[in-house]
Amino acid sequence: MDQTLPASAPSTRWTRFHGVRRVFRNLVLRGALLELVTFGFYRFWLATDIRRHLWSHTLVDGDPLEYVGRARELLIGFLIATAILMPAYLVYFLIGIEAERVQAFASLPLSLFLYLFAQFAVYRARRYRVTRTVWRGLRFTMTGSGIGYAWRAALWDLAVLLSLGAALPWRQAALERYRMRHTAYGDLQGGFDGTGRELFRRGWHLWLLTVPALLTIIPLPFLIAAWRATMLQWWVSNVRFGEVRFHSYLERRALFGTYWKATGWWVLLGILMGLWVSGIFGLAAALAQPAPDGTPDYAAAFAHPLALGGLGLGYLLMALAAGVVVRIYLTRDIWARIVETTAVYGLEAADHATGQGEAVDAIGEGFAGGLDLNIGGL
Amino acid sequence: MTEASGTDARAIFFDGRSARRRQVTIIIGPVLEIVEEGTPLARWAWDDIRRADGHGRLRLKTLAGSNPLARLEIADPGLARAVETRCPALDHGQGRGRTRQVLGWSAAACVSIVLLALYGIPFAADRITPLVPRSVEARLGEATDRQVRALLGGEACTRPQGQAALGQMVRALIDAGLPPEDDETVIDVVVLSSDVVNAIALPGGRIYVFDGLLQKAETPDELAGVIAHEIGHVHHRDGLRMVIRAGSTSFVIGLLFGDVAGGAAIVTAADAVLNAAYSRDAETAADDFSAAAMTRLGRSPAAFGDLLVRVTGETEGHGTLLDSHPFGADRLARLAAAGTAAAGTATEGPALLSDTDWQALKGICGGSSASGPPAPGPERQRLKNSDKPSGS
Repeated sequence: MDQTLPASAPSTRWTRFHGVRRVFRNLVLRGALLELVTFGFYRFWLATDIRRHLWSHTLVDGDPLEYVGRARELLIGFLIATAILMPAYLVYFLIGIEAERVQAFASLPLSLFLYLFAQFAVYRARRYRVTRTVWRGLRFTMTGSGIGYAWRAALWDLAVLLSLGAALPWRQAALERYRMRHTAYGDLQGGFDGTGRELFRRGWHLWLLTVPALLTIIPLPFLIAAWRATMLQWWVSNVRFGEVRFHSYLERRALFGTYWKATGWWVLLGILMGLWVSGIFGLAAALAQPAPDGTPDYAAAFAHPLALGGLGLGYLLMALAAGVVVRIYLTRDIWARIVETTAVYGLEAADHATGQGEAVDAIGEGFAGGLDLNIGGL
Repeated sequence: MTEASGTDARAIFFDGRSARRRQVTIIIGPVLEIVEEGTPLARWAWDDIRRADGHGRLRLKTLAGSNPLARLEIADPGLARAVETRCPALDHGQGRGRTRQVLGWSAAACVSIVLLALYGIPFAADRITPLVPRSVEARLGEATDRQVRALLGGEACTRPQGQAALGQMVRALIDAGLPPEDDETVIDVVVLSSDVVNAIALPGGRIYVFDGLLQKAETPDELAGVIAHEIGHVHHRDGLRMVIRAGSTSFVIGLLFGDVAGGAAIVTAADAVLNAAYSRDAETAADDFSAAAMTRLGRSPAAFGDLLVRVTGETEGHGTLLDSHPFGADRLARLAAAGTAAAGTATEGPALLSDTDWQALKGICGGSSASGPPAPGPERQRLKNSDKPSGS
């Protein structure tokens, strides 16, 4: 950012987040309940509502982003993906049986294929979201090949594995360069200037701390929060569209609070789940019928449909509550913090951006959903 | 924000082709007219106008315009209200009606999936099972064979005298149980040197009797009842039917819950409950097969029940014959009734095994201990109905 800039002085503008926390909380709580009563079908509408909330309350130089994706598109994408995945899973199952007959673990290469396919889905899902983002009546676009991305991601993951994580910064930089090179706002070409070396310089000590942190658990949320903040700050500060550049003032400790609050909620939910399970087992044991030899038949009581149903309901409620925690603390709060600390330089270049790219279909998101990939709570 | 102040523009227009922010005047008439410095830019019919997401100001889009991303932004609250009241379909396709629609369709999908799981899949599995070639079933059996052996352990017991006694018993049961024209059912009974108190039938005709169960049996009739029960499962191809049902059921229930976190646990639980229900019918049919075979041999069908009661009593229902369906009073009553019906003939038939043969069978794994030396290469007798020794 130190290079001399034209005399016409590229002004500094800011991004702002104007969302009300309570509104978002109500949105995700209501969404979780509707997910429960619709057996999960509501997830397409919830994801869309969450994105619309976050996008529309994010102002760049006073003008909000707009998310123009529709839940219906996600549903159709999911159905198409299911139609493709269904026979694929059947073939997978049959090949698995044949392969295991010859040799145990022979179906491992198939898992590798699924992993590659998951990377493809991740790329295509991002493409869907980017091309559904509009600012000042102009769409963001994204091209590039999901297959090309999948290969890159797989090779980089192999490098990360072999280097015990040391190659992670270079992986992030290379993949982000690929993503941003294929992203544009109108005719403003996207780009990414970050390097792996820079990210490594900022994060190597966090990487060294991983082993002691994994052993003692307690500092883990601090470590994850610091790493996430470092990554996000590095990412935002290196993204550009034509001459439009960004800088993030997010501090490394900025996310400690959100991660600790989320952890606290999860611990509480875990305790509640424990109480629920012991309550159900206690009740089942108390109501157990005597077996032929006179002692209470606990096995039958625990396997009673009502007991199983109760356990299932408890588990589902806890999972939905955990999802709510993720969405409030790790999605919304982190989003708000990044947006609030980001400056924009040279936005004048965007004033005359023109051209409108294609909006891509939601099949990628459908695959990501069908493969059970968590795409950042969004 | 500041750009708008000091001008007489009453709205901001984004034409959807460039990112330029255009100061425009709007004229409220039969249509909404958007004018920039005297030049008309667009005319939006009131019916087509919808609300777009925005922050703090009214943002509008039109469904009919040439560019779906064109946006009109009105900051002045009075003007915004005047425009809003003229748009009859401003919030169409959002809000409560939409949620109700999702709820209704979800409930419908749930009902159809539950009906499918309860009635459709069992029906389809019953129809599909006879269509599956025996060779495919045998392959499925071989694939599960490895897993079963790995999970439950034990080696195939092949002491010759024991083998001979087992062969004699199995042959008698096949003759008595299977209809004469059935030459497709392949039965292959193997005793495994494991303490597990159980017997199982795999798809394809392999039946495993674990030494733990063999040691619990006090008379040949008790063991014969168990083996006949498993032969019944093979004859009805219950293993294959179960694989088809279980696979389809978890897929269908998985569809219902999709990727909701924790869905997998629900699928497993629902599967267990449904399959337990499915298998109850199969158990009854296998019991009937056993009772019929024993009756035809002139032996008591109730001996099978005696063994099961002894086994369930001792192990509190864990790891017993047919885990998923505890041995119930109704099953006992059914077997007892079969015994009563055959009361006159119940002990008329010749004993299935002589005392010497019975002792040899009990020692097929090399003594009472299940941890005897592993038997030499598995050499199993494969019996087909067509191999029946003539005149037996």
